[in-house]
Amino acid sequence: MNMIRLTTVSRREIQRFLRIPIQTLVSPWISATLYILVFGVIVGSRIDFLEGIDYIDFVFPGILMLQLIGGAVGQSSSSLYFQRWTHVIDEMLSSPLSYAEMIFGYIIGAVARALAVGMGIYVIALLFTDATPDHVFAFLFYLVTIAIIFSLIGLIIGLWAEKFEHLNVLQSFVITPLIYVGGVFNSIDMLPESMQGIARLNPFFYMVDGLRYSMISYSESPLVAGAVGLVTVAVVLFLTVWTLFHRGWKLRA
Amino acid sequence: MSALEIKQLTKKYDDTVAVDGLDLTIKRGEFFGLLGPNGAGKSTTIKCITGIAQFDQGSITVMGHDVQKDYQAARATIGLSPQEFNADIFAPIEKILDYVGGYFGMAKGLREKRIEEVIKQFGLEEHRGKPFGKLSGGLKRRLILARALMHDPDILILDEPTAGIDVEQRHALWDHLRDLHKAGKTIILTSHYLEEVEKLCDRVVVINKGKKIADWDKAHFTKGENNLEKAYLELTRNDLQV
Repeated sequence: MNMIRLTTVSRREIQRFLRIPIQTLVSPWISATLYILVFGVIVGSRIDFLEGIDYIDFVFPGILMLQLIGGAVGQSSSSLYFQRWTHVIDEMLSSPLSYAEMIFGYIIGAVARALAVGMGIYVIALLFTDATPDHVFAFLFYLVTIAIIFSLIGLIIGLWAEKFEHLNVLQSFVITPLIYVGGVFNSIDMLPESMQGIARLNPFFYMVDGLRYSMISYSESPLVAGAVGLVTVAVVLFLTVWTLFHRGWKLRA
Repeated sequence: MSALEIKQLTKKYDDTVAVDGLDLTIKRGEFFGLLGPNGAGKSTTIKCITGIAQFDQGSITVMGHDVQKDYQAARATIGLSPQEFNADIFAPIEKILDYVGGYFGMAKGLREKRIEEVIKQFGLEEHRGKPFGKLSGGLKRRLILARALMHDPDILILDEPTAGIDVEQRHALWDHLRDLHKAGKTIILTSHYLEEVEKLCDRVVVINKGKKIADWDKAHFTKGENNLEKAYLELTRNDLQV
């Protein structure tokens, strides 16, 4: 791995999202503020939810994750798709960049954007509640691992997409619905018993639950198995993306 | 050792054969012209050499490096100026050059020095901070050429490098290419301006329908009343009739 080549790709990706801060940073901060205000403060203050836990503290990890995922997927998918569409990708394909350097460069850019979004939301949340994470390392682990997973999913979308609207298909029809039913707003115990088993098959449940544990020490899933599962998913996705790049799928004519 | 060696190159797009068993060897230091009508397979051949396209059969070696097995070493030796403009329209000139230098592993100090050199060489000083999308066609072309030379490659591949630029700039570019050739660069040129190819190239290969149909040295097309355009038209007309 050549560090000059790797840092060039990641620097280009970071500069790309900093060029359009209203779309990439301010917009998710505003969305998250509305979620926190409506669900956390206005509605949440009237919900007697779990003993000892304010509703705002329960929903905040899910709100944070929602925007984190949006940032990571949006960055890698749109960047790769536009580079394919404008043939700017040829600059990289005809250079000595290795496939791993390209992929890691995109990942670093997407994780940086996701964390910048997350940091802003965290600061906003501090205005409404004490959002200090109980387990800082676990908090960072979940943030970074989730961002990596969704930057890799974004790269698959960026390769697969044939037109602009394809960029949102997976996010609108798969990712967002699964996040919403993954325990962002409710405890899994609140679901009918028959639904609880299905809910536990939703991978987003383990992400929300893990992140929630890192912040308020409340969990409804086996944490170690969930964390191992997330790392495994990240590795499998990386190998998948590397194989697609190596084969030149939709990259090289 | 040859600068470029292509053996039995075949490239298909679905059922269309774009390059059909092409054999080609280019010596180091050669100024080489690759000609052919539209759709003959010139740009596809270039894309296969540079890694932008994959090929179905055959092999390509650049400066002794196989472009598939040893792709990083092969690509490090090539500078490409493609036919279509393919730079980030929002990025300024300096950034585009900086990124490409980085892709080729050039350290920051070296990149900064080289950016100054190529910006000066191609007369881009006044425009260095402008985004690519705001440049005129001629300036875009000059930047694409500057980008190809950023890492000081052994082989320069120019696909229609003077398309859309005015006469003065074209002559300035020719002088520049002659200097690069004198400095030992291997240059591969495709152009629809046959006068340009005739003036610059030592050797010309003509391809049509993905196959080589002529391989001429300079003497062939500059002898007596012969000129390249005449020889080329005669050849391609005959080939199309066949």
